[in-house]
Amino acid sequence: MKHKPYAILVIVTMLLLLAACAAEPIIETVEVPGETIVETVEVEVPGEGVVSEKSIVIYNSYQTDPDPIAAEKHLISLFEEQNPDIDVVQSNIPSEDYKQAIRAYLTASTPPDVLTWFAGNRARFFIDKGQIMSISDVWESEGWNEDYPAGFKALSTVDGEQYFLPTSYYWWGVYYRISIFEENGIEPPQTWDDLMAACETLKSNGVTPFTIGTKAPWPAAGWFDYLNMRVNGPEFHVNLMLGRESYTDPRVETVFTDYWAPMIENGYFIDNPSAYTVPEAVQFMVDGKAAMFLMGAFIHNVWPEELNDDIAFFQFPIIDSSVPVGEDAPTDGFFIAANAQHTEEAKALLAFLGSAESQQYFADELGRLPVHSGVDTSGFTAEQQQGIEMLQGADYVAQFFDRDTTPEMATEGMNGMIEFWDNPDSISSILERLETTRVELFETEE
Amino acid sequence: MDRSITTTNTIRMLFSKKPKGDKTGFFTSPKRVLAYIALILFTLLWITPILIAIGTSLRTYSDILLQGGPFSMPAELVLTNYRVAWERGGLSHYLPNSFIITIPALFLTLFLSSLSAFALARFRFRGARLILVMFLAGNMLPPQVLMLPVFRLTDALGLYDTYWALILFHTAFQLGFCTFVFRNYMRTIPNEMLESARIDGCGEFRIYWQIMLPLILPAMAALATLEFTWIFNNYLWAIILLRSDSLKPITAGLAVLQGQYVTDWSVIIAGALMASIPTLLVFVFLQRYFLSGLTLGSYK
Amino acid sequence: MSRAKLTSQLTPYLFLIIPVLLFVIWIVGPMLCTFYYSMTRWDGFSAPEFIGFSNFGKLLKDPVFLISLKNNLKWVIAFITVPVASGLGLAVALNREFPGERYIKAAIFAPLVFSMVATGLIWSWIYNPEYGLLNQVLTLIGLEQFAMGWLSNKDLVMWSIIFVAVWRQVGYVMVLYLAGLSGVDPTLLDASKVDGCNRWQTFRNVTLPLLSPITVVVVIVSVIDSLRAFDLVSVMTRGGPYNSSSVLANFMYIESFHNYKMGYGAAIAVVLFLITLVFIIFYLTRVLQNELEY
Repeated sequence: MKHKPYAILVIVTMLLLLAACAAEPIIETVEVPGETIVETVEVEVPGEGVVSEKSIVIYNSYQTDPDPIAAEKHLISLFEEQNPDIDVVQSNIPSEDYKQAIRAYLTASTPPDVLTWFAGNRARFFIDKGQIMSISDVWESEGWNEDYPAGFKALSTVDGEQYFLPTSYYWWGVYYRISIFEENGIEPPQTWDDLMAACETLKSNGVTPFTIGTKAPWPAAGWFDYLNMRVNGPEFHVNLMLGRESYTDPRVETVFTDYWAPMIENGYFIDNPSAYTVPEAVQFMVDGKAAMFLMGAFIHNVWPEELNDDIAFFQFPIIDSSVPVGEDAPTDGFFIAANAQHTEEAKALLAFLGSAESQQYFADELGRLPVHSGVDTSGFTAEQQQGIEMLQGADYVAQFFDRDTTPEMATEGMNGMIEFWDNPDSISSILERLETTRVELFETEE
Repeated sequence: MDRSITTTNTIRMLFSKKPKGDKTGFFTSPKRVLAYIALILFTLLWITPILIAIGTSLRTYSDILLQGGPFSMPAELVLTNYRVAWERGGLSHYLPNSFIITIPALFLTLFLSSLSAFALARFRFRGARLILVMFLAGNMLPPQVLMLPVFRLTDALGLYDTYWALILFHTAFQLGFCTFVFRNYMRTIPNEMLESARIDGCGEFRIYWQIMLPLILPAMAALATLEFTWIFNNYLWAIILLRSDSLKPITAGLAVLQGQYVTDWSVIIAGALMASIPTLLVFVFLQRYFLSGLTLGSYK
Repeated sequence: MSRAKLTSQLTPYLFLIIPVLLFVIWIVGPMLCTFYYSMTRWDGFSAPEFIGFSNFGKLLKDPVFLISLKNNLKWVIAFITVPVASGLGLAVALNREFPGERYIKAAIFAPLVFSMVATGLIWSWIYNPEYGLLNQVLTLIGLEQFAMGWLSNKDLVMWSIIFVAVWRQVGYVMVLYLAGLSGVDPTLLDASKVDGCNRWQTFRNVTLPLLSPITVVVVIVSVIDSLRAFDLVSVMTRGGPYNSSSVLANFMYIESFHNYKMGYGAAIAVVLFLITLVFIIFYLTRVLQNELEY
């Protein structure tokens, strides 16, 4: 065998393969005859096999907690009852994997039609790339322009078109053990000074004031969000998230050096926070070793039912009463893929999910807050009412650090916070690094 | 007795009742007894984390929290975690999928890699080293980086969301490693065995099929175990190359047990323990193939 | 004669054609894609934009890259020593008949079978500074000062993870060596004993050299696996705290799939690949030259 033809064969193969990957991703808009898909989809109708007469809509969700999944399935079956000629093909994937896999889904030749997703920057990313279908028509026809609060509509709009359907959100607050507060004679603090006094009292009685788990760093970002919004105001905070303010601004440094670092140095947090996940951090509160946890309402997913009477939350204390009040209220919702193959069905499903009835059900079952103003909140628990009141009284509602800013900035920022936690004195150099990243990401031509 | 080495004879030998090894005669000295006890203790220490897992799987997470952490004494033991993992993880309909994907991929991998290993071990030809390095190189990239290109390739081939996507991909991906192992193992087989067959006029494929394959059974068993483990337990490719719920293997099913904010760890652990059982069964079953000197002894 | 000669010359290629084809399409093709992407800026959606080698330049200045590289090297050193020696030792020790041998071997192998997520979880519990088994045992036996933040201390975290990886790897190496030992002709071992060698000498001078093809596999696999290690880090710490346990594959994953910088991620993968390739070629060349011809 001579060398030459062999070598040529190898080179030609390589070139062909290279050419294949340099091509545009495969986004075909396949003409589908009518609206029926026959062979590729296994419709989940037990015992009936592949159904050929119905049209379908493909629905992908990141809900995997047991209660949300059950609620979802109930809603889907309701939808199917009301629309007997449409079958919903549902897939649930854990959210961490969903976040990675979604880009594979959206570029497939038959993408999912309706997908769950997060509002804020994360949705923005796909909207800007043209991966999300405009649903302004659905907003119009379903009357959401009237029924959804302006803040949420703003969240879903880009360049005058609506792309996102926000359906549920939840609050963040300082959760505390009622019994520990009572034992130590503490009232839920409303100002910063009150909070510091409470921490001192707790500490002198052998209880660590705050627990936190930063193995996944986002709980630390909660502290940053609130401290920044309380000290510098939500407008500054949001501009920082959007890359319009500088990380080396003295206002940012103040948050760390005058408020956060002293708390760490005074021992107001548990040791080794980066060793713990959120459930492991909750352990400290269950054992009474710690009293408080700045966390979202989903803490109830971990908190043992037996102790439900012994937990409540208060609003993150006010530091400067002249500063507008901002709160974190991450919002979840749905969108339709730009290349969806079953547009009519997808819009029908979306309309259903955005209706007052669906949101009522979701809210009643899961304790999250509905966006639709037509939902009756009188049946909500005391805690939910408290949450609604707090958010309605807020001057601004943010989406949380890692949803308000770009993913890369969020990662850098949160890593910086953990590094700061380990070594508070290094904050200046950390902020300088973050500023360099910010400039690179937001000010350099992409 | 026909002691010639053929595939059928070897299989016959392996499945016949082994004369009971003199197991009772093992404990011939106090030294042996002590060594055995030490071994048992070592093994228990080795699998401590798994024992912890079993213990945890019998408690609810609430119980763990309320009693003071994973290493506290449980207030009560329950089996609900297993039931929940089975139901919520959809194991009853995902488990067949795991097998439908793993078994063909396993056989294809072993067959194709032993074929190529045979060529690489037994012949000298142009490009042999290049091909060997190529097979190895395929394993040098972290699989995650191949995610998007493989996804697009699968989609372009029209195989997206089919069993074949996974079967073919796993086969291709494992080919490199298995070829290398087989090749090296085959090189320990003395050439005379194969030469005599060749002189007798056997075609190369027959030599491969009837002579080489029985001789490499231990390597086959080792790789079958390892490959079963990796393919059966693989998660990444199942979520990338599949979308339909009805095709998913149990790894994807169990992943659903991980919630968005919080996860019931007891249930996940119960699920993980259940998922380990098939592989461990395969391992125990294949142990009979690790017989020292069985095949070589038959040379005489 | 020419027909027979042609056939025999073609034979190896015939054996190889299907496997090679399958491999080239599904693995080599995507690998080449990766090499291409490493020279682009790409978000996974729009068309990639060719930017030459600038990703690589950026990489060399990225502090996370250097941390990751160091961590991977720690992993390599750990992997080519501990699991190899213990896997070999266990294989030799267990390669005989005794009651319960299958189950003991299965127990040693079990860590490899147990899902990564669950493994990472259990070990995180063991390492938990306040409630974990390790610190509780240390305190119990009076070694309180050694009770540390195994996964939160930036100097310890990588070794804590590597320890778990080694625990998993031993069973894997043992299985390979068990297969290898099955191929060792017992008559050679008998002959050595007859010649007056004790067990250790027999092992060192007869068994070990006969096992060398397996040792080659084990070493190569250990290097490859330690350089592309991902799952344990991802599950146990995600590379934290603040990148102290970052490894190249994890770093690549975050850049590609979290930060949407697929080109940069591909560049990381390519560097990883080249490092591995250089080592393998270097090692393999020497091995192939020295291979015993039977």
